[in-house]
Amino acid sequence: MSQDLYTQIVNSPPGGFIAKRVGLPQPTTLDRYRPGQPLVSGTVLVGAAPGGRLAGAIAATLAAANAEVATTLDADLRSAAADAGLDASVFNPEAGGDRRFKALVFDATGISDSTELVELQKFFHPSVRKVQSSGRVVVLGTPPEDTKTPREHTAQRALEGFTRSLGKEIGKGSTVQLVYVAPGAEDLIGSTLRFFVSPKSAYVSGQVARVSAGLPVPADIDWEKPLAGKTALVTGASRGIGEAIIETLARDGANVVGLDIPQLGEDLKKVTDRLDGEAIELDITSDDAPKVIADFFKGRGVDIVVHNAGVTRDRTLAKMPEDRWQSVLDINLSSEERINDALLKAKAINAGGRIIGVSSMAGIAGNRGQTNYATSKAGVIGMVQSMAPVLAKSDITINAVAPGFIETQMTAAMPIAVREPGRRLNSMNQGGLPIDVAETIAWFASSGSTGLTGNVVRVCGQMLLGA
Amino acid sequence: MTPSVRRVAVIGGNRIPFARSNGPYAHASNSDMLAAALDGLIERYNLQGEKIGEMAAGAVLKHPRDRDLTREVVLGSKLAPETPAFDVQQACGTGLEAVILIANKIALGQIDSGIAGGVDTTSDAPLALNDDLREILLDANRTPDTAGRLKLLTRLRPGMVVPAIPANEEPRTGLSMGEHCAIMASEWGITREAQDALTIRSHDHLAAAYDRGWQDDLMTSYLGLERDQNLRPGSTLEKLGKLKPVFGGPEGTMTAANSTPLSDGASTVLLASEEWAKARNLPILAYITESQTAAVDFVHKREGLLMAPAYAMPTMLDRAGLTLQDFDVYEIHEAFAAQVLCTLAAWEDPVFCKERLGRDKPLGSIDTEKMNINGGSLAAGHPFAATGGRIVAGLAKELSDRGSGRGVISICAAAGQGVVAILESAGGAK
Amino acid sequence: MATRELQGPPGIIPLYAKAALPMIPGASALPFVPGSGKDVPDLELVLPEVTFDPAALAAYNRVCGFTLRDDVPSTYIHVLAFPLHMALMAEPNFPFGAVGLVHVNNTITQHRPVSVSETLSIKVTASKLRPHAKGKQFDMVAQAKAGRTIVWEGVSTYLRLGKGDPSAKKPKGEELADPPVSATWKLQGGLGRKYAAASGDRNPIHLYDLTAKPLGFNKAIIHGMWTKARCLAALESVLPEAYKVDVQFRKPIPLPSKVTFGEEITKDGIRFAVKNARKGTPHLDGTVVQVPAKKR
Repeated sequence: MSQDLYTQIVNSPPGGFIAKRVGLPQPTTLDRYRPGQPLVSGTVLVGAAPGGRLAGAIAATLAAANAEVATTLDADLRSAAADAGLDASVFNPEAGGDRRFKALVFDATGISDSTELVELQKFFHPSVRKVQSSGRVVVLGTPPEDTKTPREHTAQRALEGFTRSLGKEIGKGSTVQLVYVAPGAEDLIGSTLRFFVSPKSAYVSGQVARVSAGLPVPADIDWEKPLAGKTALVTGASRGIGEAIIETLARDGANVVGLDIPQLGEDLKKVTDRLDGEAIELDITSDDAPKVIADFFKGRGVDIVVHNAGVTRDRTLAKMPEDRWQSVLDINLSSEERINDALLKAKAINAGGRIIGVSSMAGIAGNRGQTNYATSKAGVIGMVQSMAPVLAKSDITINAVAPGFIETQMTAAMPIAVREPGRRLNSMNQGGLPIDVAETIAWFASSGSTGLTGNVVRVCGQMLLGA
Repeated sequence: MTPSVRRVAVIGGNRIPFARSNGPYAHASNSDMLAAALDGLIERYNLQGEKIGEMAAGAVLKHPRDRDLTREVVLGSKLAPETPAFDVQQACGTGLEAVILIANKIALGQIDSGIAGGVDTTSDAPLALNDDLREILLDANRTPDTAGRLKLLTRLRPGMVVPAIPANEEPRTGLSMGEHCAIMASEWGITREAQDALTIRSHDHLAAAYDRGWQDDLMTSYLGLERDQNLRPGSTLEKLGKLKPVFGGPEGTMTAANSTPLSDGASTVLLASEEWAKARNLPILAYITESQTAAVDFVHKREGLLMAPAYAMPTMLDRAGLTLQDFDVYEIHEAFAAQVLCTLAAWEDPVFCKERLGRDKPLGSIDTEKMNINGGSLAAGHPFAATGGRIVAGLAKELSDRGSGRGVISICAAAGQGVVAILESAGGAK
Repeated sequence: MATRELQGPPGIIPLYAKAALPMIPGASALPFVPGSGKDVPDLELVLPEVTFDPAALAAYNRVCGFTLRDDVPSTYIHVLAFPLHMALMAEPNFPFGAVGLVHVNNTITQHRPVSVSETLSIKVTASKLRPHAKGKQFDMVAQAKAGRTIVWEGVSTYLRLGKGDPSAKKPKGEELADPPVSATWKLQGGLGRKYAAASGDRNPIHLYDLTAKPLGFNKAIIHGMWTKARCLAALESVLPEAYKVDVQFRKPIPLPSKVTFGEEITKDGIRFAVKNARKGTPHLDGTVVQVPAKKR
C-alpha cells in the first residue's frame, strides 16, 4: 500500500507550500527498508552515561552491521569501539562542524540516581538538532525491577518519560524508543538495536521494549536472512497485513505456511505460491482446527506462529448480540489459545520458537463501538503476559504487536471523520503501512530475538491515544 | 654488496625570516629566497668554493620557468659550481623529504655532505595560461597553414584571458586544505578553545626563542625582515575568540589565527658524514636516525586529509624500537592547530590505533610541554616547502643545546601525505 | 667646494628636459639653462638618507638578471646616485647639456657588500674637465657611506664630442686576446624601456627608435649600465666580497641585438667582454679586481 493521498499532496512542491501557509501537518515521507540497503543510511552517534554496561554490546552490534559510527569523547566508549572493531569517529559538540546523524544511541544504564538523568540532556541537547529526517533515537536502560537500589529504580523508570516526550517533539519522521536490557542480557540486544536504528521501525515510536535473558544468539546468524531454515505459520495471510507479514518473513529466509479461510483460498494460494510456501485452507474457529494445524506440523515442527487472523464486528454494546460478540472473541483470541495449546501439546513448536500475536490500539486504549474487538485484543496482551513465563521453560518466546492506524482496505472504507483523526493524531502525522507491522513481527521472529518475550510493541507512529 | 650505513650528522641550518603573503618578499621569487637562505648557510659554515655532495630542495608552488630551480640557485651561489642539485616536491613534506633524501645518500656513502632546502612564495605565485587558451595556442602551433590558424582564433573567448591561479584545493575533492582540516577537527572533536590555546603557545614560545637570541644562528635577515612577520606574541583566548571562523562554516572552529597564513620564505640545512664534519672542524648538532613517509586514501576511504603522519609515526617507531613517549622534544608541524590536536587525539584513541593502525594499544599521549617548545608554524608562518628545513635545523640545535636527548618530527602534507623523522643529540639519546 | 643637501632624489624627467634645452640654439644664454659655464661646477650634491625599496630593487634585479639577495648589486647603488649626476648636469653653470653626452667608462668599487636594509648617504661631485682625443671629458664621482664608512664608490666618465686633443689618446697597452665566450644573450626590442623603468634613466636614446633618431642613433640603444649590470649578474657566483669593477663602453648596442659574453677568471681577477654575436663589434670591456674588504 502506498502513501495516503494527503501525504502525497503535501510532499509535492505546491502542496507543501499551501500546507505550510495554512498550518496543516506536513508528514514526512518515511524511509522504509529495502533489501540490500545498509542498515542505517547515515552515521550512528553513540553516547553513554558514565558507568554504563552496554558499550561493548552496542559497539559489537554496530560493527557487525557495518554501520558508520561516531562516539562521544568517552574513554570507555572508545575502548569498547576499538575492541569491537568499530572504526568510529569522534563527536564533540563543542568542536562544531556540520555533522548530521541518522541515529542517536545512548546507553543510560549507568544512571543510578535521578541527579544523573542530566546525562540525557548533555548528550541529546547538542545532538538532537543534528538528526536527519526519518532519524532514530534509542535509549537503553536497565529494567527498573532489575535495579539494585530504589534510587536507581526511580531513575531508570524516569527514562520512559524522556523517550516518550522526545518522540513527540523530534518530528521529521524520526522515532524514539526505550529499550530496557536486563542484566545478563547484554549480548542479546543485537536484533533489537538493529531494528530500532533501521528504517524497518519506520512507524514504531515512543515504545518500550524489554530484552531479558534468553538463549544465546546463534553465532552464525545471517542478519540479511535471520529466519533462514525456519518455518513460519501466518494466519490470515491472504491479504492486507497478513500478506505483508508472510512476505516479510519469506524475505528474511523463512519457509512460510499461510493459513486463511477456505473462501479466501484462491487469494491465499496466489500468495504462498509466489513465496514458495504452503497453504492451509482452514477456519481457525472450527472444532478440528487446532488438531489439523498440530498435525500439519507434527514431526517437522514450526518455529514461528503469527496469529494475525482477526475480524471486527463493530456495534455499541447496547446493540451487540451475542453471536456478534462471540465470533470476534473466538477468532481474535480463543482460537489462538486453542491452537497454541494444541501445538505445544504436540511438541510441534521447536525450541527457540516464536509465538507472535497481533493486538491493537483498541485493545490498549479502548474504542467506541468495539467492546468486543477491544476485549479480544486486550486479551491478546494478556495471553502474551501470561504465557511468556510458561513458554520460557520451553525456550519459546511470545510477543505481540499492537497496530495503530494502518493503511488497509479496512481503513480505506472508514468514514472520513473517523479516518482522518486516526491517520493524523500521531507523531508521524500519517498512517502506517502493513509492512511496518510486518517488520515489527519479523523483528520478534528473528533468530536474534532470543531475549524478547512478553513484549507488546505498538506500531502506531506514537498515537496520541493510549499509554 | 650490501652498502654500509653511516651516521648522518646535522651540522646546522639557515633560513630567512618567513614573511606573510604579499609582504616584504612580495617581489622575491623562489630562486631569490632560496639563494638568500643558501647564502647565509655558506657564510655561516664557510662553504665558499666548497664542492658539496649534492643539494636537494624544492618548492610547492613552482614556476614552469624554474626548471631545475635548485641547481640554478647553486650555480648562482658561492658553492663550487660542481655541486650537483635536484628538485624535490612532496607538498608540505618537501623540506623534510629533501633532508631524508640527502641523509640517505650520506648514510649509504654515496656522498659525504649535502644541503637540503625548501622555499615557497605565495606572493610570486605561478599563474598559468588559461587552459582553454593554452589548448588553442598549442593547436595553432600544430596547424601548418594560416587559414587553419585563423579558424582556431575564432575559438577565442574573452574569459580565456583570465589566468589559472594555482588553487589551494585538493584536485580530487575540490575542498581546500582548511576545509579538509575542519572536517577532521569536527570528527576528532577538537574545540576552538584548544586550538586557540595552542596558537597562543606557539607565538609565545617563538617570541621567547627570539628574545633569548636562540634564533640568531639559524637565520639571516632578508629584505629588511629580521623576525618572522607573522609572530604576534601576547595574545589571549579572549582576543582570539573574537575572530570569525574561516573554515567549517559558521559553526566552524578554525580561524585565521589558528590556521597558518599563506607565507613566503626559504630554509636550508647542512648535513654531512661525521668524517666530513670533523675534517672541517664543524661541530655536529644532532644525528638523523630514522624517517618514514606514509599516505592515506582521503578520497575513497574516509581518511582525514592531514592524518598521514599518524600512520607514518608508528611504522617508524616500531622500526626504531621506540615508543611515542621516548622523546624529549616533539616537533609537530602546525599547519593548523586542529591538525596537531587531531594527530595527538588519534595517537591516544583506541579506535584509531586498533582499526586504522592495527595496534592492540593506543600509541598514547605525549607530554605537550615538550612539543614545539621554540614555537611552531602557527607563529613562524608556513612557506610550504621551507617548513621542513626550519624544523630540522631548530630541533638539531635544541638537542645540541640540551647536550643529549631525542626528538621527533611530524609533518603533514597535502594529498594525504605525511613525513616523520627522528633526530638524536650529538651527545647521545639519553 | 659648496655642498647642497637634497631632501630626496630629484625627478629625472624634468632634469632631462632641462638637460635637453641647450640643444636648442641660443638657449644656453638663458640663466636657468645649463651650458653657460666654462668648467663643471664646484658643487657637491648629497642625499643624506637613502634607503632601499625592495620592490624597486626586485624590478631592477629582474631586468638585469640578478638574484634578489639580501645584499644589493653594486650597480644598483649607481642607480641611486644617478639622479644626482643629472641634477648636477642641470645646474645653470654646467658647461653643456646632459643630452648628447656619451658615457665612456664606469668604475665601481664595492668595499663591502651592502644589505638592502642599510641606510646610505650618497654624494656626487664632478671632476674638472679634461681633454679627450674626440672632445672633452669629465668624471662624475659618487660615494656611498654607511654611517662613517665608505662602502661604495663610483666614477662615471662622460665624453662631450667635439674638438679633440690627439695627445690625450691613451697609450695603447698590451693587446689582450678576447676572453672566451661563455654565454649568448638575446636583447629584446623593449629592453631599453624596461631598464628605463627599473633604473629611472629615461634618456630618450634608450626608449624608441623614433626618440633615438633626433639624437643621432638609427635605433634605440641599451643603457651601458644595463650591460655592465648584466655582466656582473653573470659573474655573481665568482665575485669577491670586495672588488673594483671597471668597464669601457665601446660601440653602443642597438636593440634588439644578440650579443656574446666572454669571461676569463685568473688569480689576478676577472676579464670580461660583450661583443656583437654576428659581427664581433666590441660593446664593452671590463675587469674585476679584488680589493681589501671592509668589515660590516
